[in-house]
Amino acid sequence: MSETYNGHDHPHEETRTGAESALYASRIRAIEALLVERGILTKEEVRRQIEYMEARSPANGAKLVARAWTDPEFKARLLSDTKAAARELGIDASGPVEFLTVENTPEVHNLIVCTLCSCYPRAILGRPPDWYKSFAYRSRAVSEPRAVMREFGLELPMDVTVAVHDSSADVRYMVLPMRPPGAEGMDEEELARLVTRNSLIGVSVPLEPGLAG
Amino acid sequence: MTARFDPGDPVRIRTEDRRGHIRTPGYVKGKTGRIETLLGTFKNPESLAYGGSGLPEKHLYKVAFRQKDLWDGYAGSLDDTLYIDIYEHWLDPA
Amino acid sequence: MASIHDLGGSPGARSSIEKSQHETEDWERLADAVTVALDKKGIKTTDEHRRAQESLKPELYKSLGYYERWVVATEILLVEKGILTHEEIDRKATELEEKWG
Repeated sequence: MSETYNGHDHPHEETRTGAESALYASRIRAIEALLVERGILTKEEVRRQIEYMEARSPANGAKLVARAWTDPEFKARLLSDTKAAARELGIDASGPVEFLTVENTPEVHNLIVCTLCSCYPRAILGRPPDWYKSFAYRSRAVSEPRAVMREFGLELPMDVTVAVHDSSADVRYMVLPMRPPGAEGMDEEELARLVTRNSLIGVSVPLEPGLAG
Repeated sequence: MTARFDPGDPVRIRTEDRRGHIRTPGYVKGKTGRIETLLGTFKNPESLAYGGSGLPEKHLYKVAFRQKDLWDGYAGSLDDTLYIDIYEHWLDPA
Repeated sequence: MASIHDLGGSPGARSSIEKSQHETEDWERLADAVTVALDKKGIKTTDEHRRAQESLKPELYKSLGYYERWVVATEILLVEKGILTHEEIDRKATELEEKWG
């Protein structure tokens, strides 16, 4: 275990100052510089990896969902092989982890969490939001999912089954939410604007037309 | 390599209090659920975590639990379900 | 006895979920990229990185932000594997601070 870190006093997350984070900023810059000097990583590899993550966002998930809402055959492929369906829309989710898309229905509502760390379908949706990584969400999403969703403004009736997915291993999950009422006749691009990041995780449902910005 | 369990099989999560890196959360240990599906075979994280090869690969299952079997006083529907991905060596027949 | 990272359902974590979002900082992008690039080159694995985070003292694990934990764990693994030492990282950090302020 590292004495460098465990020997110091650290204020709690919510009270930390910018100066405290600066310690870690300074260390990762030093680590990068040394790895480049030693030929272990190149500047180019680091830059490409930053670009890889910057190119991923919830917009990818929204595209997949909007296509699934308008094309039943695509929806079947999304549910049976998410990686391949993503590839069809030009989204590269290749890599060692698998992806599963779980479908919301009038009977079942899905919610995604990772209690052990913060596993998330990064290759499709990019970095997770801060709240997804919070200790409160990681702790409570499994034991009181309905209360958690209520905090996000979603009150589910008792005749809807809540299915929580704790992504504890090699599979990353994404929710296929239900198409909201009033979205008939909208094209794929308009539909995609209704799909929020929170609805792809399951703490919310898509925006209703007229409410979308 | 044959999978030990089939969808629908009741399973109990082992209660071992093993030191070191595992991907089986405490809240399912000792609990009984049923196999939802076999997700495939994957390298063993308990070996990968210490620089090992992760081989042999382990079967990974999606296991379903009734929420009311996991938490005292669970606030929700009786049908509410928790799904979690568990490696075969953490599962016993129930 | 559950470890610090094993948070599912843990009592005492009944606080409400803070929904504000901070702007990702450059050093966080760098921490993410360096950590993942080392995985892609086969120098370390995600599970080693998780294990390194889980080895932190509970108070430290709790007090650090997400990418702060990543930086700490990446440093632990690079030192463990004999690729870098804490001392040379100290020296390089000081050198870069003097150069860039």
